[in-house]
Order: sequence, then structure tokens, then C-alpha cells
Amino acid sequence: MEDAWIKFGQTVICGILLGGMYSLIAIGMTLIMGVMKIINLAHGALVMVGMYVTYICSTNYGIDPYIGMFIAMPVLFLLGCLIQKYMINRLVEVDSILPENQVLLTVGIMLVLTEGIRLFFKSDYRSVVTSYSSNTVFLGDMSISVPLVIGFIIAMTFTFLLHMFLTKTDLGKSIRATSQDRDAAVFMGVNSSKITMITFGLGAALAAAGGSLLLPLFYLFPDVGHLFTAKSFIITILGGLGSTWGAAIGGLVIGLSESLGATYISMGYKDVVGLVMFILVLLFLPGGIRSLVKR
Amino acid sequence: MKKYRKVLTVLLLVTFLALVTTGCGGDGSSDTTVKVGVILPLTGSEAMFGEMEKNSFEMAYEELKAAGKTTVGGKEIKLMYEDDQGKQDVARSATEKLVNQDKVAMLSGGYSSACTNVIAGSAQNANVPFLIVTGSSDDITKQGWNYVFRGTAAPASKYTGAFWDMMEKVVDPQSVAIIFENTDFGTSSSKGFRTECQKRGINIVFDQAYEHGAIDFKPMLANLRSTNPDMIFATSYVMDASMIVKQMKELDFNTKLFVGNGAGYTMPEFYQNAGAASDFVASTSLWVPNVTWPGAKDYFEKYKQKFGKEPDYHGAQAYATMYVIADALGRATDLTNAGIQKALKQADIQTIMGPIKFEDWDGFTNQNKPNTYVVQWSKGKLEVIWPEDVKSASYVYPVPKWSER
Repeated sequence: MEDAWIKFGQTVICGILLGGMYSLIAIGMTLIMGVMKIINLAHGALVMVGMYVTYICSTNYGIDPYIGMFIAMPVLFLLGCLIQKYMINRLVEVDSILPENQVLLTVGIMLVLTEGIRLFFKSDYRSVVTSYSSNTVFLGDMSISVPLVIGFIIAMTFTFLLHMFLTKTDLGKSIRATSQDRDAAVFMGVNSSKITMITFGLGAALAAAGGSLLLPLFYLFPDVGHLFTAKSFIITILGGLGSTWGAAIGGLVIGLSESLGATYISMGYKDVVGLVMFILVLLFLPGGIRSLVKR
Repeated sequence: MKKYRKVLTVLLLVTFLALVTTGCGGDGSSDTTVKVGVILPLTGSEAMFGEMEKNSFEMAYEELKAAGKTTVGGKEIKLMYEDDQGKQDVARSATEKLVNQDKVAMLSGGYSSACTNVIAGSAQNANVPFLIVTGSSDDITKQGWNYVFRGTAAPASKYTGAFWDMMEKVVDPQSVAIIFENTDFGTSSSKGFRTECQKRGINIVFDQAYEHGAIDFKPMLANLRSTNPDMIFATSYVMDASMIVKQMKELDFNTKLFVGNGAGYTMPEFYQNAGAASDFVASTSLWVPNVTWPGAKDYFEKYKQKFGKEPDYHGAQAYATMYVIADALGRATDLTNAGIQKALKQADIQTIMGPIKFEDWDGFTNQNKPNTYVVQWSKGKLEVIWPEDVKSASYVYPVPKWSER
């Protein structure tokens, strides 16, 4: 009995902690989704590039991944802004190209980023080993890995800061206005092309942050992005398209359900649990978590 | 209506272009080259292995060229690489392109079992000889396909030859746990292991597949720990392998012996990522650099010097395969598909993977009898511990507890 509770506790805690980091990555995607109205399928690739930046900082300059993150974020912010300004915006300006087709551009960007990284780093698997990588804290008899806890705390802090930014600052309010109704926002004097650029940069920076937080736990190779694109796509739908809090909660839900599925069903069906939730949400709650809140 | 006409025109144009290009391709088989198609995962998550195998192919090719063995019957052997991206559908279209458009004389490559299976099926249908490099799921050479040859790779369930010998003489476990990734390779090897266990009356206390690429293996490991097995047998690709042993260390989960089934557990990356957690992990293996076959050590050193990285048995497989190809093409009386098939069937060649002969045994067709080893990690070095006559270090069993290291 005792053992069963420990196992349950461990499953729940690890699931939530991991979910916190999924959230951060998905928030980046949902932010771009909200303002741009297109699914950014290059999102995982941006996570991957962010991870490589942190990786270089760590192996070449000995910078701790949690500090390297603050280098990766501005770099990715810049990269995101450039992609938006010089690539995606050019398509958005052409009315005859439907938004569904704009998605194809993001697939192209993903391929270029992935193969570009492969050119420099080969396909090798890489990982960052830190002194605390495999440290664990024991909560009763539950063993919880330290990078998971640190990652979760930082991810939640970022989520909170982002929330403050979106609700309290002028720039944040403009982003929300643009995402609710672009035309109205433009009439109110919002510079929408600047806003979309900043939003894309912000989304990319959050992607980099999420990736960097996972780096001490996970590993890195040029195609690692697909994993994150798929995951954040599911979370974005689960949370309700374009909803920041929806994505935050969606991430936790996915993390938790994967973890429970792995413990009580089988690790072989871990992804199935998340995907079944995805289908159920589409069938019975098409608006996602956001629609629950609005009711 | 106008719109439809436009669409129709585009469609027609595309069809026309497609016809023209395939038409050109058909005439591509020239009189001066013998084309050998090599299908490997050069992008995608298995690309690291594909890269290593391609490098090894090239290295072997250059050596053969220097020795004048790449020209057969006045024709130059030409390697044509195609990328299967680790995906079955891409592997199929790559095969079809090589067979129908490039009109290759034979095929080689095949990394993941899933892709290899697809390539083998298409090659057999087209009667084009296919020499497998790595793909090792049992059923590939169990279909009676006479155009499919497997020399450097053992059937997945036979990776464990030397290991069972060691089990009998040293380990003798009462209970074992099996974990494996849910791919062709994982399923096939654990199936072989399971049957062996049942035959020997060893109790299987835990048996679970997992999805490749997970971040948190602790749910499975916690379940596994509560069954308290004497030994764990795991089949994983490289990064999952290091995640598993690292997290076992974090959980302070001790067992008398942890055995990996080749693949991830013998890669240099395994040690780089798992660090100290890799110590005492044992694995089955098909090749090690310090094995006694002639040329093995040279290959290892040369590759390391040339590409700045240590190769493992996957690279050796590709290297040896290139030699088998050159040998067969050199002996073939005529360079038709049937002629090459016959030459491969008669092959008897010494390579860095040991002697290679294509025989029919145990329900397998054109399958070389593998040499297997058991290796164990010791402070970042891979030592051969079994068979005893070729060992480079003595085995450590039972392995010390995490807290006592």
C-alpha cells in the first residue's frame, strides 16, 4: 500500500514538473498562433536551435545551461524577428495566398534550420553534462531529479512574467489587441507589422528557454525539433488556440497524463495517452480549455 | 470552368515532365559503370548511424580503388547513395528509384529493421540482389527471399550467442526483466530472448516495451524495481540507453547485472552521455575494435583519424560490406542481377567482421553465421569479457551497488 502511494506521488510530481516545461514551449507556439493565425510548424526547430546555442555556450565557453539560456533567448528573439519580417510577412502581405498555405512556408523554414544545423554539427547526439545533471532530491521516498525542479520553477516564472507583460504593459496590450482583431487594432493606431515581428521573436525566445531547460535532462540532435512541434501542437489545441493560460494548463495536463499512462498502462503507450486526450478534446471540447473558462 | 482548365493544364504539364524525366533516367545505365545503390538514413533521427556507415563505405571504397579492385570487367563500380530518412515509405520510393530509374546492378544499405524489410521486399520483387548492412530483425532473412543477403548483421535474436554461453557459466539468473523499444529491432530481439528464457526455465518477472525518445523513464523503472529481478535485458537505441541507466542511478536501483542488446549500449555516445552511470553495464556486440580479425584495429584507427570520431560496429558493418560487394562483383561472370546473385551466394571472404558466407540454416536464407561477443563498460572503455579466449578484461559480476562505487 505504502509503495503504491509513493509510486503514485512520484508519477504525479514528475508528470507535472515535465509538463511545466512543455507548457513554456507550447506558450511560444500559441502566442504566434494567436497573432499570426497560422500554425508555426517550425516551432520545434526553433526549440532545437535554441538548445544548440545553449549547448555551444556550455561546451565552448563553460557557461552553465541555465545562464546560457539567457544568451539563447535574445539570439532566438532576433532570429524569430528576422524570420517574421523577411519571410513570413512577405507571404501574409499577399492576399491570394491562403493562411493554410502560409503554413507550408513554416515547414520550409523548419527544413532549412534542421539541415543548416546538421551541416555544422553533423547528426551526432550531444548532451550537456553538468555537476547537478543527475542529482536528485528525496521527498520522503520519492526521488525527483534536480534539473526537473529547477526547470519547472523557471518555466513557471516565465509564464507568470509573460502574463504580466501581456496584461500590464502597453506593448503586451497591443499584442493582445492584434490577436483579438487585427483590423480594429490597426485602426486604433497599433503598428501591426511591428507587433507581429515582436510576437514571433517572443515566441521563438520562449521556445529557446523551454529547450534550454530540458537540455540538462535530455539530449540534442538536429531532428529533435519534431518531438517538440508535435507536443506543442497538441497542447495548443488542448488549451484552445491562442490562449496563453490554456497552453500553460494544457502542458501540465499532457505531462501528467503521459506520466500516469507510463506508470499504470505501459511506457509503450505513453504517447497514445496524449493523443487520445487530443482526440477527445477535439470531439467534445473543440474550443479547448479556454472555452471552459469563458463559459 | 476557366479555373478547371488551368488546373488541367498544370496537371498535364506535370505528367508530361514526369514522363520526360523518367524517360531520361531509363537510358542512364552506361557501359562504363556498375551502379550499386546504397540506401541509408542520411537525415532524420537515425542519421548519425547513416553518416557513420556512409563514411565507412567511402573509406573502404577508396582503399579498394587504390588496390585497383573497383574496376570489374572494364567497368568502374559506382556507389549511388539514397536517403531513407528512417521512414519506410521513403525507403520504398528510394528503392524503386534506384531499381527503375538508375537501373542499379545491386543494392546495399539498410539501417533500421523496418526500412530494411521494405527494401528487401522490393528488391526481391524486382530480382535485384540486396546485401544488408545493419537491419537485423529475424523475419527479413526468413522469407525465403533468394535475392536478399545478410552478411555483416546477425539476426536480432542471435545477437545473444556468446551471451547465453556466459549466462550458463557465470550469471545463472533466477529472474530477469526485459525492456525494449517498440520497434522491429526491439520487438524481434526481445522475442528471441523471451523464447530462450522460457526454454531454460528462467522466470520473466517484467516485460515491457517503451516508446523511443522519452524524457522520463522513471515510471517504467519504478515498476521494474518492485519486481526485483536478478538481471535486466534491454534493447535500446543510443540516447534512450543512456537515459535509462542514468535514471536507474538516480533511483538508486540496483541489480546484479544490466545487459544491453547491442545498438545503443556499445556506442561511444552512450558513455559520453551517461558518464559514470555507464560503468559495469554489459552488452552483446557483433564487433569490437580489439577483436582479432585482421584489419579491425586498422579500420578503427583510420576512421578515428579521418573523421575525428570513434566508429562502432555499425561502421565496421558498412566497411566490411563494401569489401563483400567488391569481391562479389569481381567474381561475377556476368554483371547482370542473376550473375551477381550467384556470385554473392558463393562468397567466402574474410573481413573485419570475421569470415562471411551466405548460408541457409535454421529457417534463414542467405544468412551469415554471426560471431557475437559480450562487452562490459569500465571507466569509459568497452572491454570484451566473453568468449573467454578473446577477452580483453575479466567480467565484473555481480556489479557493485551504486552506493558502493
